[in-house]
Amino acid sequence: MKPKQFIPLVGCVIAGILWIFIGQNFVLLNALGGLIGGGGLPLLQFLESASSPSFQALWFTCVAVTLIWLFTTTKKSPMNSAEVREMQPAWWVCAVVLVLLGWAYQLFFTVLKWRISGTAPVEGIEANYFQVQPGGWITLLVLVVLDVGLLFWLPTMLASPKSYRLVVPGAMKFIGGR
Amino acid sequence: MNVFAIGIGGTGAKCTEALVHLHAAGLITDQDGKNVRLGTFLVEPDQQSTLLARTEIAIDRYSKVRDLIGNATEGFAASEIDHYGTWSPLAGATPGISLDQVFSKPVLRNEAPGLAALFDCLYPPEEQKAELDVGFRGRPPIGSAVMSRISLDKAAESGAWKRLLSDIQTASGSGDPPIIHLFGSVFGGTGASGVPTLGGMLKSWLQQQGLSKVRVHASLLLPYFDFDGQGDQGTGVHAEARNFQLNTDAALQYLANNGKACFDQVYLVGSDIKARYDFSIGGRSQDNDAHIIELLATLGVRHGCGTPGARDYAYILSRSKEDQISWADLPDNSVIGEGLARAARFAVSWRRNYSLEVDAAQNTPVKTFASGAPWIRKYFSMTEESTARSEGRPSIRAQDQLALKQAIDGYSATLIQWLRQFSSNTGLGFNQELFSEDQLNNEETYANQLHSVVRGSAKPTLAEHDDTVDRIKVLMDELPESKIKFRGVAGLTDSLWKLCIQAKNS
Repeated sequence: MKPKQFIPLVGCVIAGILWIFIGQNFVLLNALGGLIGGGGLPLLQFLESASSPSFQALWFTCVAVTLIWLFTTTKKSPMNSAEVREMQPAWWVCAVVLVLLGWAYQLFFTVLKWRISGTAPVEGIEANYFQVQPGGWITLLVLVVLDVGLLFWLPTMLASPKSYRLVVPGAMKFIGGR
Repeated sequence: MNVFAIGIGGTGAKCTEALVHLHAAGLITDQDGKNVRLGTFLVEPDQQSTLLARTEIAIDRYSKVRDLIGNATEGFAASEIDHYGTWSPLAGATPGISLDQVFSKPVLRNEAPGLAALFDCLYPPEEQKAELDVGFRGRPPIGSAVMSRISLDKAAESGAWKRLLSDIQTASGSGDPPIIHLFGSVFGGTGASGVPTLGGMLKSWLQQQGLSKVRVHASLLLPYFDFDGQGDQGTGVHAEARNFQLNTDAALQYLANNGKACFDQVYLVGSDIKARYDFSIGGRSQDNDAHIIELLATLGVRHGCGTPGARDYAYILSRSKEDQISWADLPDNSVIGEGLARAARFAVSWRRNYSLEVDAAQNTPVKTFASGAPWIRKYFSMTEESTARSEGRPSIRAQDQLALKQAIDGYSATLIQWLRQFSSNTGLGFNQELFSEDQLNNEETYANQLHSVVRGSAKPTLAEHDDTVDRIKVLMDELPESKIKFRGVAGLTDSLWKLCIQAKNS
């Protein structure tokens, strides 16, 4: 991998860590708290027990898929345009799977985990799941899409090697011919 | 500077074939490193010769690329070529003419019985009766008799000779006098008789014309092949490998005594390890593969152009390993190695990748195609219309671009064939460390790996997994606009020519 690919990749990883482990919780707590925490949802407890684990799971998955993508494209040397273009659907499959997994993590850590175990996530409340408002769900689902953008789209766009670098959507527009 | 190359006989034609490829690779330069203008002329009584046809194809294909590309490149196909044609010393004669018909023996017998008796004394009946339209049958005396009848003054009045001699006269008027370089074997029939005869005639003609600055050089090939099998009674008089040494001795004795009257500079090249060719009397069946010796003989032209003031008379080459030839054994090997390595890698990259990509782009929307081949945006318009140009970029579907692509396909195929032939045709127990013949094929399937095209010291210092056509495509896409002077297929091939030997990523 060339420095001009490696450096942006490292930058993306650092930005991803800072965002997922610090920045996102800060935003959820201070800017989007009203959307998520209405209806008596204990926001701090929700962030600690549901939101953070689900976004961290998404971070690990995105890092793994990004590394697999970069490893695969580094090892392969495409012979022609058709072989390069064959990777476009593969990239989209990865991206869609990551978004769906991200949504599934949200559902699991917010609802399913508690319902399966039969325990209530908040003491003194009867419901055995976090009662997130519809606006909160939409916010979480949109955040998943944005996180996949930050953790998968951006590093693959900036660091995909050889002719694969323009396979990623938007690469032609944002980085063009290097 | 102008170089006029005259290939005489089958070996002379093969040397001219090698010269065309060296010239196309930009390796025939004057002392200032500028490409020379090459004029080619072939002398061959055997008009059906496959060797002649192969050389004419190489010249024709390179000329076509030159015609279509014009001045739209800096490196690729930048050297000018002009073919004066093929001439037979038996031109105008009836098919199947024999030596006794050439000299009108019945007339000779009546009008000069003494000469007729001498003729009978010099030429046995089978040589007198042998049909000469397959060449001089490996017999220098037959060739000498026919060749010596040529009058350059008369030849200069019409046809190919007229144009050739006229251009020599014109070129000699420039500050940089031209070189006439003759090629031929000294062990066969046509070359052995034709090279010294024509050399002597040209020297005399130049003196008559007051063109003493024009130098006449010659690459003379000593035996370097043998025949597998031999002719039978049905083939009549024919070349025999056992006569090669005898013919060579006679030719060298002649040159020792008269060489300076024929040539200013001579390059003698041969090989103790012989390639094996199937026996052929001539014509279409004479399909001998190219040989490294012909390449070495051709390098004499480069030496002659690069050192015009040289006063030495003969140059000697040898190899360092008994059973192998490598780049180090070639004169000026760093330049020659890089030039030929570039040509080989270019031909493989073009023929087995880029050309197929241009074909594939014809049936795919341009923008879709470009998403897998971003380099095309540098050279071609991104509009769908077949005639549209944008920012000086032609459409990849424009007819003129496709015609040029086809011409480059043709020349690349010829170059690959020649490289493959001389890489595989080394002779028993002898090998070469120049090219890998496995990679040099004209299959119309995609190839990506370039690592093993070139062997030895001329191979670029790249890791095997990195030495691919895809790497060149990425380098191409990363070229700054200021480095791309030409667009379309010409610009694409010019960039490929420059990048295909580049060892490091930019």
